[in-house]
Amino acid sequence: MIFWEIAKRNIRIHMLRSTLAMLGIVIGVVAIASMGILGNSLVATVSESLSSVGDSVTVSPYSGGGGGMGGGGSGTSVNLKLSDQNFQQIKRAVAPNVAIPVLSTSERMKVGVGTDDIVATIYGVDPQYIPDLKLVLTAGDYNNGNSGCLVGFTFAKDHNIKVGSRISIGSDGEKGTLRVTGIIEERGMSFDLSTDNAIVATQDWFDNTYNRNDYDQIIVKVKEGQDTADVKTLIEKQLNKREKIVSVMDSKATLATIYSTFGTVTTFVTAIGGISMVVAGVSIFNIMMMSVSERIKEIGIMRSIGTQKKEVMSMFIYEAAILGVIGSIAGGILSIVAGYLISALMLGSTKYLITMANALSVGEGICFGIVVCLACGIYPAWQAANLNPIDALRHE
Amino acid sequence: MNEQPVMVFKDVVKVYPLPSGDVTALDEISFQVERGEFISVMGPSGSGKSTLLNLMGCLDTPTSGDIYISGTRTGDMSDKDLTYLRRDRIGFIFQYFNLFPLLNIIENVTFPMMLKSQKSVDPEKGKEVLRSVQLDDSLFTHTPTEISGGQQQRVSIARALINDPDILLCDEPTGNLDSKTGAGIMDLMSELNRKGTTIIMVTHDSHIAEYSRRTIRIADGRIVQ
Repeated sequence: MIFWEIAKRNIRIHMLRSTLAMLGIVIGVVAIASMGILGNSLVATVSESLSSVGDSVTVSPYSGGGGGMGGGGSGTSVNLKLSDQNFQQIKRAVAPNVAIPVLSTSERMKVGVGTDDIVATIYGVDPQYIPDLKLVLTAGDYNNGNSGCLVGFTFAKDHNIKVGSRISIGSDGEKGTLRVTGIIEERGMSFDLSTDNAIVATQDWFDNTYNRNDYDQIIVKVKEGQDTADVKTLIEKQLNKREKIVSVMDSKATLATIYSTFGTVTTFVTAIGGISMVVAGVSIFNIMMMSVSERIKEIGIMRSIGTQKKEVMSMFIYEAAILGVIGSIAGGILSIVAGYLISALMLGSTKYLITMANALSVGEGICFGIVVCLACGIYPAWQAANLNPIDALRHE
Repeated sequence: MNEQPVMVFKDVVKVYPLPSGDVTALDEISFQVERGEFISVMGPSGSGKSTLLNLMGCLDTPTSGDIYISGTRTGDMSDKDLTYLRRDRIGFIFQYFNLFPLLNIIENVTFPMMLKSQKSVDPEKGKEVLRSVQLDDSLFTHTPTEISGGQQQRVSIARALINDPDILLCDEPTGNLDSKTGAGIMDLMSELNRKGTTIIMVTHDSHIAEYSRRTIRIADGRIVQ
């Protein structure tokens, strides 16, 4: 159609002006899409580091309020421990799901002779529950005996620990020695045990060493097909009947909150990118208004020889559409490059670049760019179409 | 053969309301144009020539009175229908040629055809019309800025003729040309008129008006002769 051809040629003869306007759109699309890519990659990276996702409910002593605790009285706001009676109540309440009592402490230790003291977390877990915690070993085995222990991947890597290594616990080894029987695979941030920088010893060793008969937390592994929220409710009903003595964390709900927060952050940074698109839109509007004011006489001639208003309008809409489509597609391509660079620099990894979410972000950026261009072209086009042909013909 | 007048003005009044008071540009103008006529409209500046031309070209509507183009009363027509009327029944020739600088000669000439057919058109008819206004084939793919004023006016005439209009409306067609080129253009228009094209030409050049067979003189918004 001739109006499409005229729109193309007008862009071509004003190449510099058109290119600058398109550059604005390119920047806008890159800002929006690359921020989307960054947000998506961030979520994907965090998701990967969250192991044992969505199948845990963690019960810990309630630390708020400052009042005493019931349920056997062994857990208080000062002591902040869970009693064996608490454990038995939880175990009964959540059956057939598995309740795992966990002890933990932060302790000084030494690996090898002549090395500096290090501080790490020691968990005490009954070996029968190790398979339920899904601790995958990269070396060694679970059968660690009373003075055997498993160590986390990062801990082992940082301190050059291998199966068979010995770790002296306490400032001068006064709490004895643990022998490493297995290395736990990297788990990342976890809702149950964060083992990467920790040691997992037996509950018996822990009880004997620290003279403990209570627990720091109880982890409930929820079986497939059951809802973590229901398990949380059961525990709260059982233990927090009269007063709140335990805090119950539902991993699925926590995960949802984390994703929702990331979603909000992604939307926020994308909206900041959107500001550049608004600026680009103003530039397109300006270019289109210039295009109309330069061609008033031409519009008058067109109208006088029989061009309909809608045809004049279409000519300017085509012009805005060409600027929008070319600028947005170029921006979409560049945003993949920008997303790659940002992911590489900020997240240290580009493995989440090619995902459906990122494709959607780029698609959204391109669509938004085109829509902004068309929207900014509508008023100038309408103005051109509604010029009085007589006035337009007289225009110099 | 259709013996209906191609244009009839009946008691046409055009008043421009201005803050300083209404200005009557045309005052009860009545005339008719028969098919095949060559009429020049003459008058001093401010006499109402341009207003008359705008009304004849359906670019404006009268305050009162009736205008008929090929039997169709234009007063009640919508903007859309008036636009179709301009496209199909009227050919415009302007003093400053008013070709589209972004289009080449063939595209300029076939532009009204494309408006009518709503699709791309066979350029052969455009070439035929361009040849009929004595434009050389070698110029067909040039842009308007690459050809002379006289050639541009020939292209403008070809564009006006492309949809076989009932009337050619010319606004000072030689006003921007030297006398020799202007004479060439007027010879061409006389030739077109001899072949049956109805022409109404607004001019204030009496030599140019001599090419026409009838002259309508207006002064102060009224026909004086």
